[in-house]
Amino acid sequence: MYEPNRRDEAAREGGKQSGENNAPLADREVPLPPVATLDHVHRWLDGEAPEPTGLRGEQARSLEFWHRMEEETDRRRRVVTPPYLADRIMAALPQTASATAIAPWWKKDMNLSPAAVVALAVGAFSLGLIAMRLVTG
Amino acid sequence: MKSTVPADQVDQVDADQEIIARVLSGDRDAFSILIHRYSDPLFRHALGMTGSPDVAEDILQMSFIKAYSHLAEVRGRFDAWVFRIVANGCKDWLKNIRRTHLSYDEDDQPTGYANPEEELDLTELRSDLDRALQTLPVSLREAFVMKHVEGRSYEEMAELLSTTVGALKMRVHRAREALQALLEEKYA
Repeated sequence: MYEPNRRDEAAREGGKQSGENNAPLADREVPLPPVATLDHVHRWLDGEAPEPTGLRGEQARSLEFWHRMEEETDRRRRVVTPPYLADRIMAALPQTASATAIAPWWKKDMNLSPAAVVALAVGAFSLGLIAMRLVTG
Repeated sequence: MKSTVPADQVDQVDADQEIIARVLSGDRDAFSILIHRYSDPLFRHALGMTGSPDVAEDILQMSFIKAYSHLAEVRGRFDAWVFRIVANGCKDWLKNIRRTHLSYDEDDQPTGYANPEEELDLTELRSDLDRALQTLPVSLREAFVMKHVEGRSYEEMAELLSTTVGALKMRVHRAREALQALLEEKYA
């Protein structure tokens, strides 16, 4: 598991051993704050984490880039349908056919009256009788 | 496992069902309520996917006509159902435009921004982002548009696209990385 503090400590230790403390100030290693990765930026953009701070280099550029992109996507999020479009769609809807008539018959709900159910049952029974007579001769 | 549906969403579904029943019983004008209620997010989706307002308008018009014609088949949420019609319309258009190698007018850019001065300043960014979006595979573009332009949650996206939150996060992350690779040099 990555442990940033331990790694920084080890680096400082290594620096001491090689006598880096005697090096000119400009050459000394400066411990970096914990570096946010691109994953932090994704999590921030996903709304799962606060905006990352203290970014450097590529991560900082990445954050700046997404700030600019967010300005543009925010603007796009405010775009509305042109006002004339609803009327245009309504005018283009089929005039003659009702919405129900266009649905295929096998997908429509079936409404049967009790009389129709009885008639169907009698019909099916009669057909069954005829079929039986034909089979038995 | 069945997720619990928020109360306001249930109300919305009921309200839509009521309007659908009115339309099916012959009140054709009631369909305009559904158009007004859902056209904005659908228009944004079509615009984000195609990059062209004219094409987005045509896709929306065809989709609502299709929805009207098959209204008796709606089961459950009308908005999710009509979204799928629009999303499929966009994908069909993209497939056709690739097949025929047609390209729409690059000046045909989104309109309807709040401030004209702002619009002038951002014309370049807007067209660069549009161009970059056109290079993405359709599934990545769709996920990016739904997340960033439509502002939907991953859960809502998963429901609308019938996929998992994990898969969508992956698509959005890949889309971001691709867009960043294309545009970062100029805009970071």
